[in-house]
Amino acid sequence: MDFTPEKQSPILEVSLLNKNFGGMRTIIDLSFELAPKECLGIIGPNGAGKTTLFNLLSGIIRPSSGKILWFHQEIQKKSSSEIVHLGIARTFQNIRLFKQLSVLENIRIAYDIHLTYTPLQALLRTALTREEEKKSAQAAMELLDVFSITSLAHQPAGSLSYGDQRRLEIARALALHPRLLLLDEPAAGMNESEMYQLVELLQWIQKKFHVSMLLIEHHMAFINGLCDRTLVLDFGTLIAQGTLEEIRHDRRVIEAYLGEAVT
Amino acid sequence: MDYIIQQVINAIQLGSIYGLIALGYSLVYGVLSMMNFAHGDLFMLGAFFCLLLEKIIPLPLWLALLLTMLVIGCLGALLERLAYRPIRHAPKVSAIITSLGCGLILENITLAMSPYPRHMPTLFQNSIFHFHGITISSLQIIVIGISLLLMILLDVMIRCTTLGMVIRALAWNRLMVSLLGIPANRIISFTFALGAALGAAAGLLYALTYPVVSSSMGIAIGWKAFIAAVIGGIGNMRGALLGAFILGSTEVMSITMLPSTYRDLIAYSLLLIILIFKPYGILGEPPTQKI
Amino acid sequence: MSKQQKQIVYFLFFSILLLVGCRSSNQSIKIGLNTELTGEAPAVGASCVKAATLFVNKMNQDGGVDVGGKKKPIELIIADNGSKADEAVVVAQRLITQNEVVAIVGPNISSCAVPASEISENMGCLMISPWSTNIHTTTKNDGAFKKYVFRACFTELVEIPLLAQFAMSHLHLAKAAVLYDMSSESPNSAAHQFQESFLKAGGKIVAMETYTSQDRDFSAQLTKIQASHPDILFIPAYYNDVPLIAEQARNLGITAQFLGYNSWSTPEIIQLDSHHYLDHAYFSNHFSTESDSPLVKKFIQSYQSTYGTAPDDIAALTYDTMGLIVESIIKAGSLNRTAIANMMANIEDFTGVTGTYKFHQGNHDPFKNVIVLTIENEKFVYVTTLQPE
Ligand SMILES: Nc1ncnc2c1ncn2[C@@H]1O[C@H](COP(=O)(O)OP(=O)(O)OP(=O)(O)O)[C@@H](O)[C@H]1O
Ligand SMILES: [Mg+2]
Repeated sequence: MDFTPEKQSPILEVSLLNKNFGGMRTIIDLSFELAPKECLGIIGPNGAGKTTLFNLLSGIIRPSSGKILWFHQEIQKKSSSEIVHLGIARTFQNIRLFKQLSVLENIRIAYDIHLTYTPLQALLRTALTREEEKKSAQAAMELLDVFSITSLAHQPAGSLSYGDQRRLEIARALALHPRLLLLDEPAAGMNESEMYQLVELLQWIQKKFHVSMLLIEHHMAFINGLCDRTLVLDFGTLIAQGTLEEIRHDRRVIEAYLGEAVT
Repeated sequence: MDYIIQQVINAIQLGSIYGLIALGYSLVYGVLSMMNFAHGDLFMLGAFFCLLLEKIIPLPLWLALLLTMLVIGCLGALLERLAYRPIRHAPKVSAIITSLGCGLILENITLAMSPYPRHMPTLFQNSIFHFHGITISSLQIIVIGISLLLMILLDVMIRCTTLGMVIRALAWNRLMVSLLGIPANRIISFTFALGAALGAAAGLLYALTYPVVSSSMGIAIGWKAFIAAVIGGIGNMRGALLGAFILGSTEVMSITMLPSTYRDLIAYSLLLIILIFKPYGILGEPPTQKI
Repeated sequence: MSKQQKQIVYFLFFSILLLVGCRSSNQSIKIGLNTELTGEAPAVGASCVKAATLFVNKMNQDGGVDVGGKKKPIELIIADNGSKADEAVVVAQRLITQNEVVAIVGPNISSCAVPASEISENMGCLMISPWSTNIHTTTKNDGAFKKYVFRACFTELVEIPLLAQFAMSHLHLAKAAVLYDMSSESPNSAAHQFQESFLKAGGKIVAMETYTSQDRDFSAQLTKIQASHPDILFIPAYYNDVPLIAEQARNLGITAQFLGYNSWSTPEIIQLDSHHYLDHAYFSNHFSTESDSPLVKKFIQSYQSTYGTAPDDIAALTYDTMGLIVESIIKAGSLNRTAIANMMANIEDFTGVTGTYKFHQGNHDPFKNVIVLTIENEKFVYVTTLQPE
C-alpha cells in the first residue's frame, strides 16, 4: 500500500471495529481503507464475519466499538436510512426484493429517495407529484435497460429467475445513486455465463457511475475480474490483504481455508 | 322477489360498513404485521367526534366527514407514535395487549365524558323511496355511496401511486424499505392515520344510519370487521372487502332463510369452514421470507 | 360530572347521619339498604337511597313505628355494593352480622340481588328487592320460594300476560311479531312469555325474530317481519336499542303498533327517539306519576319538593318496599327477624304508590297491577291500569 503511486485520501476508513454478539466476537479490531473508485474484494470462510461487516457499514447493526469514517465523518451511529442518503447502498446475500411488487416498482421505490414530496401530497396527487412520478418511472426504465430486463418490467419481481433477481437487486441499489456499493455474493447461484456477463456489467457500471465497491465473493474469478485489492477475514480478524496473487501465497490464508480450493 | 332484493340491499349496506372498518385492520396489519385491536374504538371515536362537532357547529355531511377523518386520522397516528412504536420490537403478544389496552382507555375516556348513549343528529333531510315493494332511503344510498367511493379511492391509491407502492413494499419487508432510504416510520404513521380515518368515516356513517352513539358501539362491530379482514386474508385490501361482504351477506342470508336466532351460529361456522380450507384467508398468501 | 358530585354529597350526608344514628341505636329499628351507588347502575342506587330516606324521615317525624305497643324510630343503614355481585354479598353479610339489621332493602340489579339473596336466606333475615325481576332472586334451584326473600316489583309472569291481553282486548290487534334481544335474560323471557300468553289469549304470532346485544342493524330481521304483515310489533329490548328498531321498522314501511314492557321506562328512550318514531307506542310499567290516587300524589309531591325531580320507578318501588317492611314489623309486633319474614309472606292487601300488593299462596313475587303508558310529546302518558285476576 505504501507504494501506491498517487495516494488519494480514502472515502471510507474503518478503524478498530469490533462487534460482539453476546459473548461471541464476530468482528475483531478490523481496520482498512477504501480509495475513491476502488473495488475492494472481501473473502473468507463461512462465518468469517463478512456479512456482519456489511451490516455494520449499512447501519443495520451498531458496532460494539470502533469507528467507521465516511468522507471523514463518523457514521457508525447512524440509521440505515441516513446511511443510504449519505451514498452507501447494498445488496443481500439472500435476495431481498419486494417480491409482490413489479420489477419496475422495485426500481421506482428506490428512486423515491430523490423525491421531495410528503405523503399527504402524494395522496392528493398534486401536479408536482405527478411530474416527479413520471420522472422516476422514466429513470427506472432506463436502468432496467442497462440491466437488460426491460421486457420483464411489469412482472412481479418474485417470478424472475434467480440470476435476474440478483441483477434486479443490484439495479435497485444503483437507483439510489450510491457512491459506494456493497455487494454481498452477487454471483451466488448464477451459472458461468451469467457470472461473466455480470462481471462485465459491473465493470461498465463502475466506469459509468464512478462508484466504489466492496465485494464479497467466493468465486475468485469474479473478484479477479473486478478488484484491485482483496481483504481476507477469518473469525472476524483481518488476516491478509493485497492483490489476489499476493494473498494466494499467504500462509495464514492457506491455513484458514484448510485445503479449501482457493483457485 | 322484492323481499330478496330488499335483503340484498340490507346485505350491501352491512357489508360496506364492515368493509370500511376491515380495511383499517388490514392496512395496519400490512405495514406492521400487528393487529390494532383499538381500531373498533377509533371507529367509535369517529361517531363521537362527529356528534360533538355537530353540537358545536352544525356542518354539512361532507365537511363533517372530512374533519372527522382528519382529526381521528391524526389521533390514529398519535396512537401509533406513543403506544405502538416503543414496543414495535417487543414480542407480538405485547403489541396485542397494548392495543387492547389502548382500546379500553379510549372507551373509558368517552364513557367518562358521556356515560349514557347519545342520539346522533341527522345531517341532512332523509327521504325514503318505495318502488315495487322495495324501500330504500337516501341515507342508505349516501352511506353505501360514500363507502364504495372511499374503498375505490384507497384501492387506486394502493395500486397506482408511489405512496401505495411504498405501503405495499412495507408490507413485504420493513427493514428493506428503510435500507432504501425511505423514512419508513413516517409512512407507517401515515398508514395508521389512513386506517384510523377510514374507521372514523365508517363510525360516522354507522352513527348516521343507526343514530345512537355510545362508548361501547365499536366493540362488537370491531370484532366482526376484524373477522372479515381475516377471512379475506389479513393484510390484503381487496380481501378485507371481500370478507366484509361475505360476512354481511351470510348474516343477512341466514336471517332470511332461517330463524334469526341462528344468525351468528351460521355466519361464524361458515367463516370457520372457509378458514379450514383457506387458512390464510381467501385472498391471503402464506407468509414467505420476511425479516 | 355534577351527578357524581351530587352522589358524593349524598354519600357524605348519609354517612354522617349514620354516625349520629349509631349512638342512640339501642331503641331504633335498623333497616339495611344494599344498593348500587357506584359502578354500572349509579342512577338506580341514587333513586333507591332518595326514596328510602324520604320514607324514613316521614316515619320518624310521625313518631316512629309501633312495635308491640312501643314507638320506635327507624335507622337506615346505607351500604354501596358497587353494582358488583361479590360486593353485594359482602354488604349483605355485614348488614346482618355487624349492623344487626332486621331487614334489607335491595339489591336492585339482578346480578347483585341473586347472590345477596342467598346470604339473607342462609342467615334468616328478610330481604326485599325493589326492582330485580330475575326468578332466581326469590326462588331456589328446585323452584320453591326462598323463605326470607321477596320482591316489590312484578315479574314478567304477571306483567307480560296482562300486556298480551291488553293488546288483544283493548287494542283489538291479533297478529303480533316479536323482535327481541336473545342474549339478555329479561328480554328473552319476556319474549317467550308474550308468545305463550298472546297465543293463549287467542292471538297469532306471525314472526319471532332475534338479535344480540350491541347489534345496530336490524333491517334483515325487520324485512322478514314486514313480509309477515303484523298488526303489533312487540319489542322486548333494552332502551337504547328500541329507538333504533322503531326507526328502521318505520323506514322499511312497517306500520304495526309498537309494544314494549318495563325495560322501556327511562327518559333516555325519549331523548334517543328524536324523530318520534315511538309516538303512540304502548308499554307496560310499574309506576306512573300521573295517578289520581292521593297516596301517589302525596308521595310525588314530597319527593319533588325534597329532591327537585319526579320519582322514577325505582324510587316508587323502594318506597313501597319500605312500606312493606314496616307493615310486617307492625304485624309481627316484635323485631324478631323470623317473625317479620313470616308476616311478610301473609300480606294480602297492601296499598303502595305502585299499586296494591298481594302475596298469597306462599308466593314471594307480588300479584299487583300493571300500568300501561304511552309516549306522546316527549312524555310518558298514563293509559290504563291492568289488574291481575
Ligand atoms: N444477528 C446475529 N446474532 C448473533 N450472531 C450472529 C448474528 N449475525 C451473525 N452472527 C454470527 O456471526 C458469525 C459471522 O456471520 P456472517 O454472516 O457475518 O458470516 P459470513 O462471513 O457472511 O459467512 P457466509 O460466507 O456464510 O455468508 C456467524 O457465526 C454468525 O452466526
Ligand atoms: Mg455472509
